[in-house]
Amino acid sequence: MADATPELLTDILGTVFQETAFMFVEPAEEPVEWGPKVFTATLAFESVQGGTLRLTTAVPVGVELAANMLGCDASDPEAEENGRAAISEVLNVIGGAFVTRFFGTKVPSQLGLPQALLASQPAAGKRTAGAVVRAENGDPILLELDLE
Amino acid sequence: MTAAPERTQGEEGAVALEMLVVDDSPVTRKMVRRAIGLCGLEIGNVYEAGDGAEALSRLAEHKVDMVLADINMPVMNGMELVERMSADAVLSRIPVIIVATPMSEQRIERLLDIGARAYLAKPFRPEALKDLVLEILGKGESHG
Repeated sequence: MADATPELLTDILGTVFQETAFMFVEPAEEPVEWGPKVFTATLAFESVQGGTLRLTTAVPVGVELAANMLGCDASDPEAEENGRAAISEVLNVIGGAFVTRFFGTKVPSQLGLPQALLASQPAAGKRTAGAVVRAENGDPILLELDLE
Repeated sequence: MTAAPERTQGEEGAVALEMLVVDDSPVTRKMVRRAIGLCGLEIGNVYEAGDGAEALSRLAEHKVDMVLADINMPVMNGMELVERMSADAVLSRIPVIIVATPMSEQRIERLLDIGARAYLAKPFRPEALKDLVLEILGKGESHG
């Protein structure tokens, strides 16, 4: 089993954002200043250990994700409408990448269903590890892991 | 369960592939549709369903050549969908490609054991989907 380090989470964030939506991200430091609204998504998992992954992004990151996944412009209303769904799906892919890299592919792992919402601030909660990256426009993306 | 006959003709009169995309994420359904469009295959109708139960309803309404299904879905997940299709004389002939997040080897083996034809991990390149579809249709390039 790998270590639950910020480096692992940073690496997974970078790979998934690039492969899912052609978005390049750079490692950054906490604390993060958020805008008036954020997308926040959670995903429970079960494996050798249970836990939760929590992804928080600035709203424009979700819209850009949706635009890249749908093949439309970020100014397209469809991208704006699908920002939350895009964050949810990206967390789903992050979850799959995390459980197979952290626990390995030899043990059974199960993901829950991701839940995403538009909120005024990031969801608070305990965590084992966290990692911050920034999108090319400087907007923050936070991935947190809470192992039971 | 009997699938309804309904076919689309391709540009040169060839029968175009009819597909069903099953995923609870509307963004992913659109993304998979887009990838199918980029595959360079003759594609007819692409139907969508948000879970396994909806997928079975679509399959009762439309004849499709292939199903692309996620695993992790509410109401009825992809595993149960494959089991239900495998147990049906008509639906068991339709190849199912599982398009899902990375999972354990044991789970992939289980899916193939119960009737799924292939597994494609998200995120995927359209070319990977095309290769898989061609391979299942028996039109894949020989690499050996």
